[in-house]
Amino acid sequence: MIAANPWMAAALAAFLLALLLLPLLAGLADRRSRLRVAPAALLVLALLAGGALAARVLWTGAPAALDLSAWAPMAEAAPFAFTLTLDRLSAFFLLLLCAVGAPVALYAQAYLERHYAGWRRAALWALLPLFLLSMALVLAASTGFAFFFGWELMTLLSAAAMLLDGDSPERRHNTYIYLVMMHAAAACVLAAFLLFLSRAPSLDFAVMRVAGPAMPLALRNAVFVLALLGFGAKAGLIPLHLWLPKAHPIAPAPMSALMSGVMLKTAVYGMVRFSFDLLGGGPSGWGYALVAAGAASGVLGVLYALGENDLKRLLAYSSIENLGIIFMALGAALVLQAHHAPVWAALALLAALLHSLNHALYKSLLFLGAGAVGDAAHSVELSQLGGLQRRMPITGGLVLVGCLAIVGLPLTNGFVGEWLAFRGFIAGAGAGAPVLPLLAGVLALISGLAAACFANVYGAGFLGRPRSPAAGAAEEAPRAMRAGMAALAAACLLVGIAPGFLLRPLGATVAALLPGAGLLPGAGLVPAPATALAAMLPSLALAVALAAAAALALRAWRSGGVRRTATWGCGQPLMTPRMQYSAAAFTEPLRTVFAPVYRADHQLESQPDGQAWYPTAVNYRSARTTSFERSFYRPAVQAVVNAAARLGRLQTGNVQMYLASIFLALIALLMIMRLA
Amino acid sequence: MTLAAPLANLAQWALLLAVAPLLRGLIQRAKARAQNRRGASLFRPYAELAKLLRKQDLVPDTASAVFRAAPVVSLAAMLVAAALVPVLWPAALLAGGGDFLVLVGLLALARFALLLGAWDGGSAFGGMGASREAMVSALAEAPLLLGLVAVAILAGSGSLAGMAQWTLGQTLVHFSPVYALAATALGLVAIAEAGRIPVDNPATHLELTMIHEAMVLEYSGPSLALLELAAAVKLSLLLALLAAVFFPWGMAPAPTPARLALALLLFLLKLAAGAVAIALIESTLAKLRMYQVPAYLGLASALALLAVACTALIR
Repeated sequence: MIAANPWMAAALAAFLLALLLLPLLAGLADRRSRLRVAPAALLVLALLAGGALAARVLWTGAPAALDLSAWAPMAEAAPFAFTLTLDRLSAFFLLLLCAVGAPVALYAQAYLERHYAGWRRAALWALLPLFLLSMALVLAASTGFAFFFGWELMTLLSAAAMLLDGDSPERRHNTYIYLVMMHAAAACVLAAFLLFLSRAPSLDFAVMRVAGPAMPLALRNAVFVLALLGFGAKAGLIPLHLWLPKAHPIAPAPMSALMSGVMLKTAVYGMVRFSFDLLGGGPSGWGYALVAAGAASGVLGVLYALGENDLKRLLAYSSIENLGIIFMALGAALVLQAHHAPVWAALALLAALLHSLNHALYKSLLFLGAGAVGDAAHSVELSQLGGLQRRMPITGGLVLVGCLAIVGLPLTNGFVGEWLAFRGFIAGAGAGAPVLPLLAGVLALISGLAAACFANVYGAGFLGRPRSPAAGAAEEAPRAMRAGMAALAAACLLVGIAPGFLLRPLGATVAALLPGAGLLPGAGLVPAPATALAAMLPSLALAVALAAAAALALRAWRSGGVRRTATWGCGQPLMTPRMQYSAAAFTEPLRTVFAPVYRADHQLESQPDGQAWYPTAVNYRSARTTSFERSFYRPAVQAVVNAAARLGRLQTGNVQMYLASIFLALIALLMIMRLA
Repeated sequence: MTLAAPLANLAQWALLLAVAPLLRGLIQRAKARAQNRRGASLFRPYAELAKLLRKQDLVPDTASAVFRAAPVVSLAAMLVAAALVPVLWPAALLAGGGDFLVLVGLLALARFALLLGAWDGGSAFGGMGASREAMVSALAEAPLLLGLVAVAILAGSGSLAGMAQWTLGQTLVHFSPVYALAATALGLVAIAEAGRIPVDNPATHLELTMIHEAMVLEYSGPSLALLELAAAVKLSLLLALLAAVFFPWGMAPAPTPARLALALLLFLLKLAAGAVAIALIESTLAKLRMYQVPAYLGLASALALLAVACTALIR
């Protein structure tokens, strides 16, 4: 195996140990003294150090490895190998975790202090580092056991964070659904691992990597499908997304940011690890399966987001959309690899990885922004907001950066990721995969709808006039919260304007996963179009800045000055905030166009009855259960319940009956063993 | 050659900006003639811009900084987008990685700024216009992009200059189904993007029908001048784009004065033809009902999809 640097191993161990021990200091957060910032400060420091370690691995390519088998739980009883290895792919995702985690921890310092007191605050400060630790374990694991250990821990800790935020039947129900779906997904992931055991002596990634490509196709197909189901559910791909809009909004804002920003990316990591690394690529059918799942999630996710009024749930649906884009790019990479076009596959895979980082940055920024809005205006319902840009200009400006980035406008990181994805899709035309260029249309539709969606978020939320007294009295977020959001926004702009520094290490990461990508003459490690884009973006930024300066000068040139005056109200002297357009009205045209997707239950009651044209009062109610819940999940759950009821008949309470059935099962097993 | 190329690029960029108001005047005049009126001077749009630039800027007292920033961003994005389009010869001011995706991104940036500016006005009109614009543009983005993708695949180049160069080198390319389909799709989208009849009526101020005008209703004076200029540049940019990609005849192969002069003449003729076509469409067709616009854009999307699919058959 690779001879790893002992210092790197020590650094990795120190990073993980710091995350493990930080909860011991959580109690300090509840003190009145200055020491209360200690948990946040130390967590930020630990994450910065971890980020530096990950960056070192990512840039130099020298892996860090750590063997914890001796200390693993149940080391004597069950000798599972528990080793951690940071290769470039792991390091990239670990860098993503640290890049998002540090600003979130900074933000949480002020946010948790304002919202939680006593044991809840301490518990959240204990959960935060542990949750980060569990994700770091998933990303660094290089044996099936270590991976699965982190994977399960991640689910349980995030569920704990949801339950800490309050207690209501609805919250319990949502957490329950989250746990059920995550465990079903975990079962799929576990099965995907175990299927390797028939051909590989152990679940060490290095061994699986050798065995994977040599397995018979049927087995490889089974592993891939199980991985897609397991990681797809974790990523919230439609139709396995049911948990996501229920779970993300009910966690505390920093936790929501981490769940959407980082936890979903562990699913992307798992998918890349399985399909490109452990299985070593596959038939183009795999790619098309990913592409189809991604396209459906992308379009439906953004449409559901568009119809949402609750900002946090809207952001959760938008995560489904973005994960859809990432999976489309992953699928395109698999297809292109199957068509022997490794350079273009590298471009598409680069797009998927970069978009993962981008989504982590801007989605956590927006979730933190939603937390700040909820803090200031006591609501995250778009129908209750408005005018916040004037009340909290810095938070507003930072959220605006997040909105520009998520829409994928030029000079933000979102544009770079989508540009690479577009180029990857178009490349399919030259590689004998003519379906891929059509995906450019799907991606364009998604980004067009996302523009409408986030113009609505920012317009209804931050512009115009406040729609509630609380929004009108909103105050700027505290300094630590602003600093956390500012760091994320700065990262969005940095990657958007000067992505060059990331392309080389990412290109090397991708080349390691795609045999042949770095070996073509003249191709280099970074696909040529990506280099050209990176070279062009700074001059584009300069051009836009110059053009804006020219426009400003033109406006000021002979201007007769600026006068503040009332909004034109058609001669009406009194304009109320309710005369503005509302968020629901803004999205109405698109919701009408895509009405079959929503299938909303409208109820319009006008009083008195029977006078539809001259009512004295109107009651409008619109409830929306997604069609998946109605036509997919409920029948499935009903079937399980019915089957359980039938099986329940076996449960007679008679011990002899039980013994008889155990005996019969034993004989059946023996016969199966005999036949096999 | 060393200095001629950048100078020619600069000249064609300036040309695109300078003729933008003239194009509007030309459409107005052609429309007037089609309706048996004499019509105003061709240069009236310039005078209107000059008048607006001298006026006072009225800003709603509840608006934030976004309201004032939106016209600047919108115009800036258009100015940069204009630098990506080849006009006189197959090259552009912003070369390198500047391809059609960047152009589409800049158009989206300008539109997003406009949507936010409309929201910030705080009246029902702004939101209404923004809402409709959001619908039209969300559905127009896919056909716009796919149409260009089809040509990019054939040309083997993502830059607009590369596409123009490729088309110049072909004979009978216009009989290719890809070109016919893509040109039709992009023509339909250009009308929607520029906010012309049958998608939007630039001459109306009736709340039932206006889209773009509702968005800019709250703007006045120099800010309105920037928005009007941005809209004019957008229209001329879209026409120049169609001309460069589908009808680049007469473009100078090298930036020599004589060939550039010929290219200029032909470009102005193409622009005039476009203006007359728009005027005729606007004089003979009625605006579509709002909820028929998705069908119109759906047609454009279907054509663009077919164009991309056809690239695989031709190969």
